[in-house]
Amino acid sequence: MREGLHEPISVLAGYSEKDKLFKPLIVTWGGRDYRLGKIDFYHKTKQGLVTLHHYSVSDKDETTYFKLTLDGVNLQWTLEEYMMAGENQPHYA
Amino acid sequence: MKPQPSFLTPQSTVNKSLPFTMHIDLNSCFAIIEQQANRLLRNRPVGISAYDTPRGFVVASSYQAKAKGVKLGVNVEQARAMCPGIVIMTPDPAKYREAHRLFKAVLLEYSPDVIAKSIDEFVVDFSKSEALKRRVASSSELVASSGEKRETSYQLLHHQAMLRIGRDIKKRISESLGEYVTVNIGIGTNKFLAKYGAGFGKPDGMTLIDHTNLRDMYKDMKLVDLPGINARFRARLRIAGIYTPLDFLEADLNTLKKQVFKSINGYHWYMRLRGHETDTVEFSRKSIGHQHALSHKTTDLNELERLLIKLCEKTGRRLRKNNLYAQGIHLYLGFAQDSLQYTVDSLQSGYGQKDGKRFNHRVQDVGPASFENMHNIRSWHHGEKTINRLYSTPDIYEASKRLLHSAEIQNNVKLMSLTVFNLCDWDPVQLSIFDIPESKTQGQKSRVGLVDSDIRSMDVRKRTSDAVDAINNRYGEFVVTPAMMMDMSGTILDRIAFGQIRDMEL
Repeated sequence: MREGLHEPISVLAGYSEKDKLFKPLIVTWGGRDYRLGKIDFYHKTKQGLVTLHHYSVSDKDETTYFKLTLDGVNLQWTLEEYMMAGENQPHYA
Repeated sequence: MKPQPSFLTPQSTVNKSLPFTMHIDLNSCFAIIEQQANRLLRNRPVGISAYDTPRGFVVASSYQAKAKGVKLGVNVEQARAMCPGIVIMTPDPAKYREAHRLFKAVLLEYSPDVIAKSIDEFVVDFSKSEALKRRVASSSELVASSGEKRETSYQLLHHQAMLRIGRDIKKRISESLGEYVTVNIGIGTNKFLAKYGAGFGKPDGMTLIDHTNLRDMYKDMKLVDLPGINARFRARLRIAGIYTPLDFLEADLNTLKKQVFKSINGYHWYMRLRGHETDTVEFSRKSIGHQHALSHKTTDLNELERLLIKLCEKTGRRLRKNNLYAQGIHLYLGFAQDSLQYTVDSLQSGYGQKDGKRFNHRVQDVGPASFENMHNIRSWHHGEKTINRLYSTPDIYEASKRLLHSAEIQNNVKLMSLTVFNLCDWDPVQLSIFDIPESKTQGQKSRVGLVDSDIRSMDVRKRTSDAVDAINNRYGEFVVTPAMMMDMSGTILDRIAFGQIRDMEL
């Protein structure tokens, strides 16, 4: 099981009526804004009563991958994984 | 040899009914889900390994990695040597469970009879499928034809409808799980042929097998291409002069029953190869267990006890979730090979036994060297039935700790596996009709041979365990734990087992 980075991150998110999904649109990370593309995988996990929403997504240029997690109770976003084009390994621990 | 009765000749026993069974296989499941989630991994060799250390084993690999020889069981070091640039990742079980759930939801749109064979394989029976009936009925002009032509047309219509549903399922899976995910589909008159068919045309194939193309599908294939035939069975078949799937199909029943399999399995294979359903029995659960590969190999009993209690908790949770209790327990310890020591006591051939404990010995490939070198201790295991019901974590821990203390740990332990067996449904405890205060019942046996206070104490332990599980369900795993498990969070990793999925959420 992957531990995850649990790094707090700034996210602009919105609800899409078409996808019926609340999803991240822009992340600010490392002093840069990344406009996000289509959500490539979404899943939920439970930690007791807390639902965690996990979004696997790449930026529109497809140069950076993020796995972002939204805590359904405190509504805080964390960065759990990332990978940049040209790298040979995603970062998750 | 006696001539075979005509009804047992291969042609006469081939199942000519319509194919209603579909086998759907999510290709390179874990790897492809990772490639779906992370675009930067697409079209690249990816390996999923339980541990990303050099000795960790690859449990799944992408097609690009498979093309370079990285298959199940290769270790990370070998994978990197075979395929420089391979991306090695540890598993993300929650993601794969979600994929499994979405996969199943798609299949349930087409038939109510969906059986998960593993995390990435499903078998769907379309015999009661309304979706199939609708598709067949929609081509009414073919149904309206008559006589022999009508029979042929109906068969064609059925085949077309099954293939159309297969294509729909592929499309729906791509929509639901993601555009990078592809599945292989096999359609047949039994589960075996459907699974065999799903092996063709990877990564995005669909094959229908029935009596019309059965022989063609076996042609030019190897015995080990047949599901369920491994190298060991292949050796047995070769001894009987069976070298190809076609030879296997043409082998007579007596040869299979009496010479090759020497059991009813020969009959099952005879029927299975001809498209008859023989795999209808669902075996009930016989045991529940959990295992852990130690990243820090050790002989330290205290450390092993702490890991053991976590294995007990995982095992106990599964047991209680299924409302079962166990009356048998088995502990297995696998030893590291790099610091082997030898004992004369254990130097018996093959499997050794000493004081009721069993050792496995490894016969080295270095030739007949010294007596010691021929029989290295590779593992220790012992199982025993218990009088007490094993249900709560402390009960399981008590029994397993006793086993651990009886083990002769001479090498670093690298693997610990705990299993409970003799599973029974937890029946409501029969309470005494004479509900006498406990002080008056001391030493008095009830009908089942238990002292009433024992029954009460068992009931109390059950209720306590159930309450602790309820708290953990509500507030998160291991919120309430035995004191020994403090500081151990995450030590026993979340895993998805190969084979049948029974406890997906634990």
